[in-house]
Amino acid sequence: MRILMLGINHRTAAVQLRERVALSGPRLDAVFAEFARRYPGVELIVVSTCNRTEFYLARPTHQPPNVEQLMAFVAEHCETEQRTLAAAILHRENHEAAAHLFRVASGLDSMVLGEPQVLGQIKRAYEYATAQQVVGPVLHRLFQDALATAKHVRRETGIDKGRVSVGSVAVDFAHRIFESFEDKTVLGIGAGDMAKLALRHLQDLSPQKLWLVNRSPQRATRLAEVLRLSPQQGGARAWEDLDQLLVEADIILTSTASPEPIITAQRFRPLIKRRRNRPLFIIDLAVPRDVEAEVGTLANVYLYNIDDLQQVVVQTHEDRRGQVQTADAMLLEAAQACMTQVQNRDLGQLIALLRHRLHDLGQAESQRTLRRMATLHPAGIDPKMQAMLDEHNHRLINKILHMPVSRLDRRNANAPLAFYAAALRRLFALDDTEGHDEPNNDQDRTA
Amino acid sequence: MPQPISTISLILLTALTLSATVMAWVRLIGKRPVGGSLDRSIIALTVLCTFGALGLFLYRWLIVNSQWQPLTAHVDGLLLIAVLLAGLILFLRSRAQVPGIAAFGLPVLTLVLAWAICASAWTFHPFPVGSVWLSLHLASVYVGTAMLAVAAMAGGLYLFAERRLRHKQAAPPPRLGSLEAIERVIIRTSTAGFGILTLGLLAGAVIYATEATTPGWWYAPKIILAVIVWCIYAVVMNVRHTTRFRGARAAWLSILGLVLLLAVWVFAISFLGDPPAVTPPQEPGTAMMPHASHAQSLPAMVHPAQQEARPCES
Repeated sequence: MRILMLGINHRTAAVQLRERVALSGPRLDAVFAEFARRYPGVELIVVSTCNRTEFYLARPTHQPPNVEQLMAFVAEHCETEQRTLAAAILHRENHEAAAHLFRVASGLDSMVLGEPQVLGQIKRAYEYATAQQVVGPVLHRLFQDALATAKHVRRETGIDKGRVSVGSVAVDFAHRIFESFEDKTVLGIGAGDMAKLALRHLQDLSPQKLWLVNRSPQRATRLAEVLRLSPQQGGARAWEDLDQLLVEADIILTSTASPEPIITAQRFRPLIKRRRNRPLFIIDLAVPRDVEAEVGTLANVYLYNIDDLQQVVVQTHEDRRGQVQTADAMLLEAAQACMTQVQNRDLGQLIALLRHRLHDLGQAESQRTLRRMATLHPAGIDPKMQAMLDEHNHRLINKILHMPVSRLDRRNANAPLAFYAAALRRLFALDDTEGHDEPNNDQDRTA
Repeated sequence: MPQPISTISLILLTALTLSATVMAWVRLIGKRPVGGSLDRSIIALTVLCTFGALGLFLYRWLIVNSQWQPLTAHVDGLLLIAVLLAGLILFLRSRAQVPGIAAFGLPVLTLVLAWAICASAWTFHPFPVGSVWLSLHLASVYVGTAMLAVAAMAGGLYLFAERRLRHKQAAPPPRLGSLEAIERVIIRTSTAGFGILTLGLLAGAVIYATEATTPGWWYAPKIILAVIVWCIYAVVMNVRHTTRFRGARAAWLSILGLVLLLAVWVFAISFLGDPPAVTPPQEPGTAMMPHASHAQSLPAMVHPAQQEARPCES
């Protein structure tokens, strides 16, 4: 069997092309149906996310589709010119295709290194294709191994750990202070875009209340509408309520354009007793800062400014990059093992086919010999002699096959199994159709 | 009399716990994220220690002592503490969302087991448990101490986690647990330990009050220190109702409380001696036996007949 991967991703294609090639819902169903009709017996899984659309297929070596045919098929179903597609297409075969899938599943090929969503997307793509009954033993093995290896690599290297945006870093720190948020109050000071983005992250924590204050009450109200806050969830409050809100809040996110600090130590210190020393997490995204640094030194107050959060984002990126080499080594090894299994299975089928063919030949020769013997013995051939002849053939074929088959040490991962398989096919003409073979060069066709 | 099976088992358990401790600290302070296999190894070793200590405790209770009394020597008490500590570490790690507790709990567990080796191999003395009050006192003190040790461990973890937050370190694995969750553990274990220890102190007071032959027993250093410890835990237990003792202060108090509790155990008993003129409990028809808490400092008071009667595992 030959594994083929053809697709585009965020590295090879602009978003306009990715949009056109993206497949889901009825379009994807149509692709599966047409593919199964046109290429029966060929396995197919389509991984389509916002950053990539990749076709993984497994087919008998000499059967269609080849790369050109598959590209034409994709262009046809994605209403894209083949020439446009060819300029952005990425093409991998066999080991390279497996290694590519393993990398994608582990997040090493993602725009944000190590991002975890792609694992779920691949799992869904696999399940979807399985439900469409276009997945066979080769792609089952490949995708199951890819998913298991990706989980293992993520667990062992921690490449998906850490946060990669300021808002998510803030949420991460909030989790290190508070266990649950259903009884917490979030206060947003300021109504700018940055506050909006970060507040969305905090809103995902489902806090009990989310209050917004701004010097301009209209802007606070508008932000409350943008965040779709119901009256039970919170809303806009008057600027004059700020001291009371500083007492009520557990998390404060501030991002105003004020040239002077809004929360000073002098202002906050008298409120500590009213707060009953509850922990307070302050995220100051403003430049110049809205919260005096001294506030962060008070007991049970944890103050983070934009630099603190950015530093974590940068650190996360560095940490993840540091893990790429380790992850790559693990992935390559796993991909190799997976391909060995696929080839073993392929080789096993070839050997069975070869044995079957030789026995057919032996049977034919036996019949021929028996016919000739019948001319020499008009009284007829003794059935015992016929049985002996059959047994002779059987044993001879088995003995001939024994040595080469035993030399194909399928447990040896370094054995050139693909070469053996190709040699068997060629030498004994084990494939019915020829002419669709392709050079076995795992090359990147990206322009 | 030395008890080789117990001692060897304790040495093995201590070695296992020490390995788990090293792993937990590698996981905690490692610059790079560590793999899940290390986590699994820590859990596996802790589970092994829990069941190992429990097995040894039951073995000593049912086979060595064969008196249907679980606490017949200090080593039994330490084993009971070890079982509770290991079990609580596992529970807090998984169910209470405080995964960092292992790094602070396992060193304490190692020390307790090492102490148990000493109590088994070199300073072994039986308890002359002769009254219900003494049984209650011993059980309460051991279980209460285990709970308060967990509170102190959580206190250490709280301070460590808070320091990380103050230094604005990124949040790489391992997760330690949120400050809120850790503080909850401090309060709950302090509350439980406080209640149980109060019971133990009351039982001890009853013993002293009924057995003291001269007045003034209540101002012995041991009693005074015990009352101070009791007061500290009374504060820690109520931090949620106070404004002054939340967060890091509660954590420090829980650690201070355990240190003082150990001081009561070690310092007061070993160096300050008895409260004035206490008469050891004496059951009708038995020889005079020393008070359990004096067993270590007063080995000579153990009646020879009792020593002979004590079953030996060898």
